Amino acid sequence: MAYRRSLSVWASLAGTIVIWLVLVGPLITLVAKIQPSQIISALRAPGAFTPLGVSVGSAIIALGFLVLVGTPLGYVLARSSWRGVRLLEAGMLLLLLMPPLVIGLLLVFMLGPLTPLGLALGSIHLSATNTFFALVVAEVYEAAPYYVLGAQSAFVGLDQGILDQASLLGDTPRQRFFRLSLPLARPQLTSSLAIAWARAIGAFGAVIIIAYHPYGLPMQVWTTLNEVGLARALPFALVLLVVSLPLPLFAYTWSRRARG
Amino acid sequence: MFRHVMLVLSIALVAALALAACGSTSSPASSSQTSAKHEVANVAYAGSLQLLNDQTIGPDFSKASGYGYVGRGAGSFGLSKEIAAGEITPNVFESIGAAPITQLEPSKTSWYVSFASSPIVIAYNPTTSYAPTLKLISQGKLPLARVFALLGSRGFLLGRTNPNTDPQGQAFYEMIELAVKRYHLPTSQVAKILGQPDNPAQVFSETSLEARLGAGQLDAASAFESQAIQLHLPYIKLPASINFGDPRLARVYASASLKLANGSVVHGVPLVVDATIIGHHDLRASVAFLRYQLDTAGRRAFTNAGYTVFRPIFVGSDIPASVKQQAE
Repeated sequence: MAYRRSLSVWASLAGTIVIWLVLVGPLITLVAKIQPSQIISALRAPGAFTPLGVSVGSAIIALGFLVLVGTPLGYVLARSSWRGVRLLEAGMLLLLLMPPLVIGLLLVFMLGPLTPLGLALGSIHLSATNTFFALVVAEVYEAAPYYVLGAQSAFVGLDQGILDQASLLGDTPRQRFFRLSLPLARPQLTSSLAIAWARAIGAFGAVIIIAYHPYGLPMQVWTTLNEVGLARALPFALVLLVVSLPLPLFAYTWSRRARG
Repeated sequence: MFRHVMLVLSIALVAALALAACGSTSSPASSSQTSAKHEVANVAYAGSLQLLNDQTIGPDFSKASGYGYVGRGAGSFGLSKEIAAGEITPNVFESIGAAPITQLEPSKTSWYVSFASSPIVIAYNPTTSYAPTLKLISQGKLPLARVFALLGSRGFLLGRTNPNTDPQGQAFYEMIELAVKRYHLPTSQVAKILGQPDNPAQVFSETSLEARLGAGQLDAASAFESQAIQLHLPYIKLPASINFGDPRLARVYASASLKLANGSVVHGVPLVVDATIIGHHDLRASVAFLRYQLDTAGRRAFTNAGYTVFRPIFVGSDIPASVKQQAE
């Protein structure tokens, strides 16, 4: 009996490792395939760090925007008793389900230079075509549903009793939001933000359509692949991982601790 | 219970992966050992051939021959790099211009056949404020030289593809150089129209350029004549001496050149469809695919899609006899 149980434990462990290996196989391949000399050579090329700066800068702005507008939207989706709120939620779900390439194509129709919105942007010297602004827009659209729906989930999970008590003690909805809801939801909001960060910095589908320039890291990987082949493109993929991973890992660890 | 679930899941996952691997396209080496009906023409082709290959030629070829067909479209140079590195293993490669194929010699192939061309045109947006003038030029009611003044005018939204990765992007840049010479325009007009080769205001991915043209978000853009026809876009035809569509004018085209981001200088080459078989083991499916394209049905499909089909020209050595026979 003990022998059978031991065998079962080992088989289960082996199964877990097999599943893990298969799922993280591409990452293992990436690390195994790149020679340190390739990384050094790729990063020594003139202007090699520019895409890194572009990606980090645009993702920070996109995330800042998402925190400002996505947090209240997530709160409304979670707490509002208005019936139409489900329609707003459906909109976010559609954005989540839509392939990023399609989002990019639709953004051309919405923000192209000759559309009403494009002309309005032009009048204030902004353009959503091959500009840093366009890159931020593409990243916002690719990352928004991950943050907004995550924020909604965070606010849904709040203890209604605590919020009701605050109301009884005279807190206005605004005070309740800033003094209770926001601090209590912070761990999960941080996790959602980390996922949104990974989506924003790795955004590609919408980016290749509306922001072919300026090259961020994903576009750098793509154009290098096309210009000189995969071997030269892979080091940039590794840089992308190195840059985008710490924040999600830190946020995940912190939110786990915060939630006990 | 959990342990059993994990075990069953892992076995199922490995089995699914094994099935997926078996179901995926065979490499040339392995597929040569399979039976004829399981052979697949695995074609890597220039992105501009996507619609024609995947919607017309591929399915019709499969129906007529009984062989399978899988296609993959992308920039010709990018595909060439991937084939050279062994990252993809097509058995047929079709590029626009021979350079992406000759880069693979001698290890992957030693020959190619040219059989169709698709000249460069200037496609335009029928709703733009420039459209009336562009239409008059396309009808020959205004001199063609006028378009090259218009392209350089302030605020004109011109789109083109990346010359560092795409033969059309290179040819469009070189076409402007040739046009400036032909119409005795100031040399500075090249820079005025195009800016730097990878000008962020003009250069888009191939997918994006087509989308923007279709959405009417550019005043004009580079296109192959076949693309303009397939997308139902009005366009301005250009003379053979500058449109890169006539293989007999290769010398004229070569007089234009462009310096790429990697420092290399490329000279103009005719924009013809060149095809070859990858690997030195000729598979029946790959041979059959090329024979089909050079045959009446294939040539008709190219003509209907807006290509100019001409008598096949073979270049190189060790050309499979059956492919050559078909052309003759």
